[in-house]
Amino acid sequence: MEKTMKLFIVLSLISIFIITGSAFAADTPTFAVYALNSEPLTNWDPAIEFSNGIHVHNNMYEQLLRYDSIEEKIIPMLAESYTVSEDGLTWTFNLRAGVKFQNGDDFTAEDVKFSVERTMQLAAGASYIWSAVESINVVDPLTVEFKLAYKNPLDLVAATGYAAFIYSSKCVNEDNTWIDETPGCGTGPYMLRSAKWGDEVILQKFDGYWGGWQENSIDIVVFKKVSETATRRQMIETGEAAITVELPYTDVEVLKNNPEVVVSVNPSLQNLIGMFNTQKAPLDNVKLRQALAYAFPYQAVIDTVIGGYGQQSYGMVPAGLWGWSDQLPRYEYDLEKAKALLEEAGAGSDLSLVLTYTAGNEAEKSTAELYKSELAKLGVNLDIRGMPWDSQWEMALGDPSQRQDILMMYWWPDLPSPYSFLYSTFHSEDEPLFNLAYYKNPEFDQLIDGGNEMTSSDIEAAKQMFIDAQKMLLDDAASIFMYDRQDIWVTYKTIQGFKFNPAYPTVVFFHELTVQN
Amino acid sequence: MTQSTSFLRAVQPAVRELKVTFFLLNRNLLQRISMVIILLLILIAIFAPVIAPYPGHAISDTNPKDKLLPPSSQYFFGTDELGRDLFSRILFGTRISLRTALLAVGLALLIGAPLGAIAGGLGGIADEIIMRLTDIFLSFPPLLLAIAISSFLGPSLENAILAIAISWWPWYTRIIRGQAVSIRERQFVRAARAIGTPLPKIIFSHILPNTLAPVIVQASMDIGGVILTIASLSFLGLGAQPPIPEWGLLISSSRTYFLNAWWYSTFPGIAIFITVMVFNLIGDGIREVLDPRTRKF
Amino acid sequence: MTKFILRRVLLGIIVLLGVAFITFFVARVVPSNPAAKWAGPRANPEQIAKATIELGLDKPLVVQFGKYLMDLFRGNLGNSLRTRRPITQELLESLPATVELVLLSTIAAVFIGIPLGVISAKRKDKLIDHLSRLFSIGAVSLPTFWIGLILQLVFFRILDIFPMGGQLSTEIKILMDIPKVTGFLIFDCLITGNFTILWDALWHIVLPGITIALYPIGLVARMTRSAMLEILNEDYITAARSYGLKERTVLWSYALKNSIGPTSTVVALSIGYTLVNTFLTESIFTWPGIGSYISSAVIGNDYPAIMGVTIFSAFSYVLLNLAADIIIALDPRVRT
Repeated sequence: MEKTMKLFIVLSLISIFIITGSAFAADTPTFAVYALNSEPLTNWDPAIEFSNGIHVHNNMYEQLLRYDSIEEKIIPMLAESYTVSEDGLTWTFNLRAGVKFQNGDDFTAEDVKFSVERTMQLAAGASYIWSAVESINVVDPLTVEFKLAYKNPLDLVAATGYAAFIYSSKCVNEDNTWIDETPGCGTGPYMLRSAKWGDEVILQKFDGYWGGWQENSIDIVVFKKVSETATRRQMIETGEAAITVELPYTDVEVLKNNPEVVVSVNPSLQNLIGMFNTQKAPLDNVKLRQALAYAFPYQAVIDTVIGGYGQQSYGMVPAGLWGWSDQLPRYEYDLEKAKALLEEAGAGSDLSLVLTYTAGNEAEKSTAELYKSELAKLGVNLDIRGMPWDSQWEMALGDPSQRQDILMMYWWPDLPSPYSFLYSTFHSEDEPLFNLAYYKNPEFDQLIDGGNEMTSSDIEAAKQMFIDAQKMLLDDAASIFMYDRQDIWVTYKTIQGFKFNPAYPTVVFFHELTVQN
Repeated sequence: MTQSTSFLRAVQPAVRELKVTFFLLNRNLLQRISMVIILLLILIAIFAPVIAPYPGHAISDTNPKDKLLPPSSQYFFGTDELGRDLFSRILFGTRISLRTALLAVGLALLIGAPLGAIAGGLGGIADEIIMRLTDIFLSFPPLLLAIAISSFLGPSLENAILAIAISWWPWYTRIIRGQAVSIRERQFVRAARAIGTPLPKIIFSHILPNTLAPVIVQASMDIGGVILTIASLSFLGLGAQPPIPEWGLLISSSRTYFLNAWWYSTFPGIAIFITVMVFNLIGDGIREVLDPRTRKF
Repeated sequence: MTKFILRRVLLGIIVLLGVAFITFFVARVVPSNPAAKWAGPRANPEQIAKATIELGLDKPLVVQFGKYLMDLFRGNLGNSLRTRRPITQELLESLPATVELVLLSTIAAVFIGIPLGVISAKRKDKLIDHLSRLFSIGAVSLPTFWIGLILQLVFFRILDIFPMGGQLSTEIKILMDIPKVTGFLIFDCLITGNFTILWDALWHIVLPGITIALYPIGLVARMTRSAMLEILNEDYITAARSYGLKERTVLWSYALKNSIGPTSTVVALSIGYTLVNTFLTESIFTWPGIGSYISSAVIGNDYPAIMGVTIFSAFSYVLLNLAADIIIALDPRVRT
């Protein structure tokens, strides 16, 4: 009796599976899920979004240009070509003809002028990238001219992954605010289909895309927040997700042996740094900072925390970006040296320091714990405090006497230029914003500003200036340059054509992909 | 009357009650086992630095070369992502859990008991106000108030203790009040009132000591529930902060690794489960012992 | 009876006011700079000044509390710091998923917990009583979030029977039309007769459902047992027995009926625990409800959102208890 019952249940289960399985006919649209570790976007306005929305927006909107940081070359997008005047202050972009917005409107020079001017006017998010622009002139419907106040590599600016998008004026209210969830605002290959705020965004193919479509391209793209790493791993193993990122290396080791998925390891332009508070005792003492830089267990951290997917940094500019140099000196892990320097610095045995890191980030947490155990060997107590980034930042900007001693954070580029790594983080600031080492060195400022101006005319000279500037940071031990990490992408086996571009961290350009069953 | 004799007189009923309780509990096998385990947990908490094979791993040491190893004769419960011995960390976790739970319950008693004695001793408006106050506090779904308070105070073990105490005290106020109301009518309180003893003195030197006994017994058995609450707060990121080896936090950190390292989540969870369970078992027994309807001796 | 209900409603209103006051106190008085907390960490001085005015922090506390109450009355819980959207709207969007879990667990608590308690009381100190008590004490001693992980480990990783998370398979969610009538997925599938989706939804709710239901089942079983024991000692039960009524009738119809009062209070209490369990487990199961909402809010320091969930849940909980009490009041023996 019981046996027949069991058999019955099993059979009905099987039949239900068959029914559900056959419910999808052969010509159903293809779709791909991108499983993200946090919400797919935080603001619908492409002028404002300066966060996770980079994933979604780069598939809906386009820039004038894009930058391929592996090949180190500019890719034409909405602009087919551009010229720059002798003095470097006038940039002229020749726009692509026949481009349509997803809502059917033609794309013209007016749209470029409108978008960039509005983005600059809102002064939100990453709009500062345009700060050199003085005026924008429409020469003819397919030519637009930018006048600059000072020399600046505008081609790189126009290729930025944030705040450089061209969008339709129809999606903006009279009071200049964005009309959320209006479809058809961009010229990109995908347009909005539906969204659940904070959870998922679903895009669908824009048939009239100027770039055309290859066969077997993806019809529907789902950006989904899956905060549990274990669930993301499960989704990619079963093919429920097409692509995922930010898996712990322990999972990566397992997935490498799984024939169902493809693991690709690529340089990322992200590095982990531990900024010393150079203005506050006791770390205003350079000897002490050097001692602490020697006490950091670089290799152990790389092996343990990121499973070897990365390397110890040479200075602030990460491997894979121009301006990186392995000729720069590095602090190696050497407790003896650290001890000697500690004594030289005259630090007492009761030294106690506060390190803040971003709570919720496993890598930062483990790094902090490893560092703490090394410093304990030197008799230095490291008080590690994991806090939400917002609170971490609040503390760093607050009352100077209450600020942290070491601030750990990841940094990544907005512009694909060393300037983007050196300016915000170490250029003198009257009121700190991201220079959380509170580093002040006019010579350094001069070098990197010069390098930036030189970028569009003499890139080799610029490179040298950026390298020299980093040498200063190392001599002054302004920060611990912990590691340049690699990005690990896991794609399901049916996904083809995946290319990786570190200038747009964790962005997948779905238009390039196809599905092969 | 000296302070010390008054103290002795005050705790006398408590001691008597405890003796009776333990006598009764001792008759049930399950409860006897639970008491042995509780004793064991207390010993572990006290002697953790001596018993733990790698006491340093529970404080600040790391051991990255042995990361995420499965249980073995070297590491009984395996190791975590930084190569720390989970067995040692869980042993130290006993200490943290018991201490924080004791502090939280103690603080809740400190707030709740006097209020209960006042409510029961004074009656009238004071009683009404205090009891409505407990209604309000108890009308939050359990844990929720603690979540709100500790997130506003900032995440730390100390703030979690405070948050739990603030959301827990009304239970004790209610119990004490119930007792106080009946004691108020007893002979010796009436006598004290008749000779003109001031009301506050009656409440704090007659009513409170006489009601304290059952509530302390009750409270000590709430420790299980409190440990669970602390672990939950830590799991949400609102309690203990790394590298403190608090059990809930251990489980929370294990989430990233548990598909490959089953031991990492499993053992801290078992530790919580056993600890909470033995306290609950004893608590259940005590409720039965204290309940006059089911008390049989 | 009307008098009792009136008194109970009045009391409920006082409690709601009190709850509002406590949340007000935690959010506005405890923090050293509530406006800065409210405006968010990247706020500039102007934004903080704006928040000060919006929150009325420049006014006396009484006026502030009045304004706070008015906002609550209008259903305005403020905007989330992370998303800048009204919290009320976000809560309503994530509500159905959570309600579904809570309802399912409560049904389980009633239909498993109550019989367990009754049998346990009937066979007091027999083996079945010991086993059932051990089970129910075990159920309330398990850390919910841990059991969620363990269930995933066993039923997904090892046995591969149930999915690890989510409300529906992605394939079904994208390629099929999900019925939207009431917003409650399972219910909508039932009334539209869409069994493919229904089946998928049921498959997904099993693990989170079990995880969340364990505690309430244990709680209800324990409470039912003690309520039944009390009643079984009452005179009228002895009388009923002595009249020669069947034991089954005595137990299930007389005794159980009379324990409905305490039991419905327990069910209300267990809903409270279920709700809290969703806070701890929804994120583990990628369940798009209020629990996931509050855990992201905690991680992101989204104070208004945390407060919003607190007020919202506390209010629902108070109203629920009120309803339970009124149901009890309809029971003739409670009339005063």
